[in-house]
Amino acid sequence: MTMSEHDKHERHDERALVENHPVRDSRAGLPAGPPITEELAHLHNDAVADRHDNDAAGRTLWGDAWRRLRRNRLALIALIWLVLMVTAAVSADLWVSRLFGDPATINSATAMSNRLLSPTLAHPLGTDTMGRDMLGRLIYGARASLTVGLSAVVISVVIGLLLGALSGFYPGITDSLIMRMTDIFLAFPYILFCILILAMLPTSARGIGPVILSIGLLGWPSFARLFRGSVLSVKENDYVDAGRAIGASDSRLMFRHIMPNAIAPVIVYATMSIGGAILTEAALSFLGLGIQPPEISWGRMITDGQRLMDTNPGLVFWPGLMIILTVVSFTLLGDGLRDALDVKMKD
Amino acid sequence: MAEHLLEVDDLTMYFHTRDGVVKAVDGVSYTLDKGETLGVVGESGSGKSVTALTMMGLIQMPPGKVERGDARFKGRSLITMKEEEVRKIRGNEIAMIFQDPMTSLNPVYRVGLQVAEPLMIHKGMSKRDAIKQAVELLRLVGIPNPEARVKDYPHQFSGGMRQRAMIAMALACDPDVLIADEPTTALDVTIQAQITELMQELQKRTGSAIIMITHDLGVVADMADRILVMYAGRMVEYGTTDEVFYRPLHPYTWGLMDSIPTHNLVEKSELCPIKGQPPSLVNLPSGCSFHPRCPYAQPKCVTDVPAYRLVDGTHGASCHFAGNPDFVRGCSLEVMV
Repeated sequence: MTMSEHDKHERHDERALVENHPVRDSRAGLPAGPPITEELAHLHNDAVADRHDNDAAGRTLWGDAWRRLRRNRLALIALIWLVLMVTAAVSADLWVSRLFGDPATINSATAMSNRLLSPTLAHPLGTDTMGRDMLGRLIYGARASLTVGLSAVVISVVIGLLLGALSGFYPGITDSLIMRMTDIFLAFPYILFCILILAMLPTSARGIGPVILSIGLLGWPSFARLFRGSVLSVKENDYVDAGRAIGASDSRLMFRHIMPNAIAPVIVYATMSIGGAILTEAALSFLGLGIQPPEISWGRMITDGQRLMDTNPGLVFWPGLMIILTVVSFTLLGDGLRDALDVKMKD
Repeated sequence: MAEHLLEVDDLTMYFHTRDGVVKAVDGVSYTLDKGETLGVVGESGSGKSVTALTMMGLIQMPPGKVERGDARFKGRSLITMKEEEVRKIRGNEIAMIFQDPMTSLNPVYRVGLQVAEPLMIHKGMSKRDAIKQAVELLRLVGIPNPEARVKDYPHQFSGGMRQRAMIAMALACDPDVLIADEPTTALDVTIQAQITELMQELQKRTGSAIIMITHDLGVVADMADRILVMYAGRMVEYGTTDEVFYRPLHPYTWGLMDSIPTHNLVEKSELCPIKGQPPSLVNLPSGCSFHPRCPYAQPKCVTDVPAYRLVDGTHGASCHFAGNPDFVRGCSLEVMV
């Protein structure tokens, strides 16, 4: 809707309001127009009703955001890529083994003859040193990466939202305590700390679970900070006072009045952080501390492939490309979401 | 003495800030009975809104602190009451309308749901029933086609319509007292008149008492039964509307009357604003807070704080010379010159 149309729309409403106003105001200085016949008033109301029925469906805030997101081509491409990858990863058990052979286990009978094959129709990206299909392994690697990325960020977001909300809502001691704790956690060298935690575990206990936990438990401070700031600014709004004035409880104010208005930056940052978590997982797996074989991880694939990088660059190139594409996609999607969720950019 | 619906008695609330003590509300007293309208008038920063907010328990404590005095609603102190108890009164028995309708509605919820919210909180209604009721409330406040409009978001409403929605929200639980904090300040003049009219009409219908906070004497002139004039957190003059308008006692009230623009087109008269700025509440002038701006200030005004005292019946003021005929005569002469 263009600006002038919007104006018209508003003025139109105001007029309708005056016409149907039950306590018509004589002092308002409005010219007393010709009386509207019942029929006319009826028609008029129908027209108003029609217009509202038509655009009511698409006029939710999330609907608006989605419409703005769709207009951002890069974000849309990123989203499509991610949806494809998620679909492939989720449905992998149904078709990957059948098409390309089991990507995880080593078949000692055929391993030697199948190793390091060049791309063919049966193996579109070739095979690795153990004769396993690269594409199949990449798809299963996506599964690990996405699981780690999403779960770790969910853990961080939950802790961060909780502490950020408390901190922003209750100034004073609560706020100070939580923020000092956040400062301490932010001062830890993130990856080193993950490595430390994972290195202390016995090899048998290593795997996807500890990776998720260590990334998730260390990622919350940024979310807490971000959400606190957001809550602090939203809290100043008149509608929060108005909510208090109608007798809303603290939790109602926080979760119903403040949270929905303060969550947008967290959604954006969380989306971007998924990429970061995937990157950390890849790094940890590359170092041998992350996901352990026979589970498949892109980082681990790079470790395994680097010895043969000179002769078979594909072994490193494909998992590397997947990491880059996925991380960039999450970043672009986050960027698009930031624009889409920004109420100030409302058209 | 019969119990009043709302009784504010020597209410005093200071903000303890790093810059010093802000005496936001200092010894304010008034009463409100069923169906009555009280106009609270004063410049920005005179403590009009803060008095109401203190009463409602909507001031952050600290930095705010009620130093003394009380506000009793139906005989129960709102000041010493537990937060959970006050919460049951807010929005239910005492409701509030805020100044700026553009920012007082939550942008992420449909208007209907927001109007319905007090009903869900206080009357335990289901969402569906409450929204059904919201349609009726919106119809009551003159929103055309409320069945469709409940589904709109605040940004689809114009300013006047939003203020109507705010009024609907405030009236949802049929409150005994409605506090309107400058409800028309942010609106166009024509819409202002409509909103004022609407509030009067609704008051007739529901019988609720209204506290109308405004800096516009014109707004309260034909609406209020009684008027409280505030300056720098203190009550300056308090009386019935007729008393305050026809026999104002305090030089500050005189100043307010003079600064109302007139609509006389033939005889252009000069607008007489009150000179100077309202004082900082951290650093109040000695004696009468108004003395630096008062054209009639005497030596006594600089040294002694004038107490509020009744001059005739129910009409009183905080001026050393209120009701002193010699002083008034002297002043009117000065005004002539």
